[in-house]
Amino acid sequence: MPYLGGDDAVRELRRALSNPNVQSDPLRYRNTILKVIRSMSQGVDVSGLFSEMVKACATVDIVQKKLVYVFLCSYAALNPELSLLVINTLRKDCQDPNPMVPHHTRYPPLVEYVEQPLTAGLRDRAACVRRVAILGWAKLYNLQPTSEIDASVVNELYSLLRDPDPVVIVNCLRALEEILKEEGGVAINKPITHHLLNRLKECDVWGQCDILRVLQRYKPQSDDELFDILSLLDASLVSPHPPVMAATLSLFLHLCPDLPAVSQAALERVRGPLLAACGSASREMRFTALCHIQLLLRSLPGLMGAHYKRFFCGYAEPAYIKQRKMQVLVELVNDENVVMLLDELKGYCTDVNADTAQAAISAIGRIGRSYSDRCLEILTGLLGLKQDHITSAVVQTMRDLVWVCPQCSDTVCVALEGCEETLQDSQGRQALLWLLGVYGERVSSAPYTLEVFIDGVRSEASLGVKMELLTTAMRLFLCRPAETQDMLGRLLHYCIEEETDMCVRDQALLYYRLLHCGIEETRKVLHGPRSDPSLGVLIGRPAEPISQWASSFNTLEPLRQVAVETESVSRGSPEHVTTDLSVTLSGCRVHDVRSGDLSPSPALSPEEFERLWLQRQEDFVRLEERVRCPAVPHCSPQSLQAAMQLLNIQTLAFTPPHALPWRVYLYTHTQHTHSEDTLCRTLILGELLLKVTLQQQPRDDEALRGFLSILTSVLHTLTPESE
Amino acid sequence: MIGGLFIYNHKGEVLISRVYRDDIGRNAVDAFRVNVIHARQQVRSPVTNIARTSFFHVKRSNIWLAAVTKQNVNATMVFEFLYKMCDVMAAYFGKISEENVKNNFVLIYELLDEILDFGYPQNSETGALKTFITQQGIKSQSKEEQAQITSQVTGQIGWRREGIKYRRNELFLDVLESVNLLMSPQGQVLSAHVSGRVVMKSYLSGMPECKFGMNDKIVIDKQNKGGSSEEGGKSGKQSIAIDDCTFHQCVRLSKFDSERSISFIPPDGDYELMRYRTTKDIILPFRVIPLVREVGRTKLEVKVVIKSNFKSSLLAQKIEVRIPTPLNTSGVQLICMKGKAKYKASENAIVWKIKRMAGMKESQISAEIELLPTNDKKWARPPISMNFEVPFAPSGLKVRYLKVFEPKLNYSDHDVIKWVRYIGRSGIYETRC
Repeated sequence: MPYLGGDDAVRELRRALSNPNVQSDPLRYRNTILKVIRSMSQGVDVSGLFSEMVKACATVDIVQKKLVYVFLCSYAALNPELSLLVINTLRKDCQDPNPMVPHHTRYPPLVEYVEQPLTAGLRDRAACVRRVAILGWAKLYNLQPTSEIDASVVNELYSLLRDPDPVVIVNCLRALEEILKEEGGVAINKPITHHLLNRLKECDVWGQCDILRVLQRYKPQSDDELFDILSLLDASLVSPHPPVMAATLSLFLHLCPDLPAVSQAALERVRGPLLAACGSASREMRFTALCHIQLLLRSLPGLMGAHYKRFFCGYAEPAYIKQRKMQVLVELVNDENVVMLLDELKGYCTDVNADTAQAAISAIGRIGRSYSDRCLEILTGLLGLKQDHITSAVVQTMRDLVWVCPQCSDTVCVALEGCEETLQDSQGRQALLWLLGVYGERVSSAPYTLEVFIDGVRSEASLGVKMELLTTAMRLFLCRPAETQDMLGRLLHYCIEEETDMCVRDQALLYYRLLHCGIEETRKVLHGPRSDPSLGVLIGRPAEPISQWASSFNTLEPLRQVAVETESVSRGSPEHVTTDLSVTLSGCRVHDVRSGDLSPSPALSPEEFERLWLQRQEDFVRLEERVRCPAVPHCSPQSLQAAMQLLNIQTLAFTPPHALPWRVYLYTHTQHTHSEDTLCRTLILGELLLKVTLQQQPRDDEALRGFLSILTSVLHTLTPESE
Repeated sequence: MIGGLFIYNHKGEVLISRVYRDDIGRNAVDAFRVNVIHARQQVRSPVTNIARTSFFHVKRSNIWLAAVTKQNVNATMVFEFLYKMCDVMAAYFGKISEENVKNNFVLIYELLDEILDFGYPQNSETGALKTFITQQGIKSQSKEEQAQITSQVTGQIGWRREGIKYRRNELFLDVLESVNLLMSPQGQVLSAHVSGRVVMKSYLSGMPECKFGMNDKIVIDKQNKGGSSEEGGKSGKQSIAIDDCTFHQCVRLSKFDSERSISFIPPDGDYELMRYRTTKDIILPFRVIPLVREVGRTKLEVKVVIKSNFKSSLLAQKIEVRIPTPLNTSGVQLICMKGKAKYKASENAIVWKIKRMAGMKESQISAEIELLPTNDKKWARPPISMNFEVPFAPSGLKVRYLKVFEPKLNYSDHDVIKWVRYIGRSGIYETRC
């Protein structure tokens, strides 16, 4: 933070530094230097004092020397000429018989001149000097990554891996990793691995973590060797230090990817230490442990079943821990604990923090997919509190629940009565509108609720609500025409004549023209599916193989997912994406493929697909087109697959999310009536790689164009609104 | 590895900034302040990602410590490191507060220089660090002192100097436990655990070898197999099962693993010998029985009974029961049999303090809370929390022996004066109502 009067301060400091009276008094001299460092860390530019500070370097006072080196290290790059002046002192310091002095000689970045002291440092008698010298080489390499590091130095570093001092060993490992980055890091062979494993116990926590990480690259030569290593590591697997435990588990998973039984046993073994970390006194550690537990649960859903009480939230815990714990709790539900768990979650629904309350409500919704009666009872009870954020979350949760479990719809329809009064935010109102549209004939007050919305459309700010309102009004018109006709007319009139937003206006125009085509046609378009039970299966994901997440274990990855997930909760759940899709797509069907239709049958086997894909070009029409949907690779493959299936496009294979380049292979058949009686079938194969490559047989341009427009509209719907 | 370390005060002013790697730019300091410290909403996660840089932060009182990195690092390690950093600073200057950080400015820079080199953690043991850290400034040392440092830095025992001499050999051992409880209104224990520490202060001459024994279940069971059955019956009841424990680096882990005996050469002065956690058979020193009755919309009757559940010869101290009240409380009438109770409107709670209370006693407070009629949210009923201090270990841990051997100097185990003390404190001790 640059503060005013910085220049004055620097001038004053310079005067003090060059004052002979100050220089002769060590205490005053040191205090002045202290002031320089203090202003440096506050962000004042004190680089002008470089030459004065260089002089201060020549002293016997170690404290002063250290302070000056802190200064020199930060500014040497700006003043290469002046830095040369330091070299002499530096060299002298490095030769000092007292190990304390060279130890503190942090080498400023002056490449040409430090090599010699560094080489000497590697052979120093005192371990602390060797430690610094080793990392000095790493720094040197980082400053000039292009210059070749002398092979003899690398050899010397390799030989120092056998040093008696554990920190020297670990530093060597770290330095070699950096210097040999281009070649893939330190060469890990059998003797080195065994040596490191034997010395592991002597190292401190940080050293152990680094060694365990490097050893991940080792491939044991035989099963016997593998099991020797594993049994050697068993003690650190249950280490009370969470970092060591996590690093060991990660190593276990890397060493035996082909032995699922061993990895599973290892996961069972770390259950205790992980649970202990979840109850640790420091909240950050608790949070990290929770994130990792979630990762484990993806493969072993039953791992923590008996310990569900450990994941109950404390009153004073921060929101991020509570939300994580709830996500874990949802995974742990079974017949025995469901009552207790729901009771607990119910308590969280009235949390002071609105985000936590919403997370609790949606957690209840998730459990509702398997225990719908109990959960619906709680959810309806919550509506009675008449709190806007709670009601909104409940309505959204109900929408998501109904989409997956249609059997809940009766209860939901009853519960919806009268909750529009407490709803404030757009997300909640959108959910309510969707429910009214789909189950309009069962909610007796639906037209009255809708009328309130339509009367207020002028002052409506949210685009999403307006779009949803149009669709709902249309749907309700189809099932209760007498009560809705008048207000639908008013709404369409307003949206076409007065609305300024293009999306809303276009949608309204589309519906208006659709109505011209007759009521039957309209019904065909608007009557999308009310629910998709198959999604329940998709979302209640099966146990994943461990290898799927093994590489991200013990990195930042599991912690980052949190951010993504909480965002998606506020934006709308995955089902919502698909429900929107069905609405939009029913529209696009009118535009593009009214004459043609897609079908995934007859099915194509992967081998056949590959054969056809690689077949000679002339049989197929080839088409490449760029699609601009940067965010698509971030949406989950499940929702993409579900969306494609909705449109009768079969996805055959896709890369895991976040992998680059991200690609999807898909195919479909188009049925296309050319003339009255001949039915042509064409096969379309596609590869999606941020650009679409399509192959078609036989040629049919119109069908191809139709397909392409459907595909792009799917991709755009899947792209989050914000992008 | 860690690219840089920043310390901020609660306003977001930078107190200390130390950058270890060139990939961390100068704007990183400001990025964290703007995005996290000055952010309007609550902290979303202890790890924040800004422009491909990860910021790990912990808060101690009103000081923010942030570690920055661009690599995909091991999160547990970075947090563990930050805790260690806090411990080291606390060992040097006590509480981590803005004033202390400002006053120990040089010391912290020195520490940061020592603990991390090029972003890699190096040496984090307070005892060993003392050799390198020169708060007073060491001028120039004699040959003898130099050799000593070399042996200490390279030698096996990094935590103790040679040639320490005391006239009186003394040893203080404190068993400090904090007992955590979450209880349902019906009196069902939802979760309970004790996290304990064995803290020692040793003033011993030479290089003594110590052996510490406690009523660890595994050890006692093993002994009982060999010993007589009568003894087994007596001590079997009093042994405790330790869920997990960590030791100071001086403890020989290999010996603990094989024989479960704790032997070590102690550092000089204060140190923490071990940390442990137990979850089974915890003695809950107090039970809180809440009774909340809503009388109409404007009145609330609360009765809370606390029962002390330990030997009647022992005295608990500093008892404080905190009963939360709704936000729309207008007045409170209190009647308590013992201690003093007060309604603190600013904290929205009734605070009931009792100086001392013997075991196997019972005390109660009843309150009538008058409420202002509002349409506000339903009251969330936060739990009743409790603080206390008792002179025993709620986990049941007992020190069985603590032996000192120093073969080179002529003092023996019974020349050493030993002091043992147990203190059980409340951690998060909550009962829902």
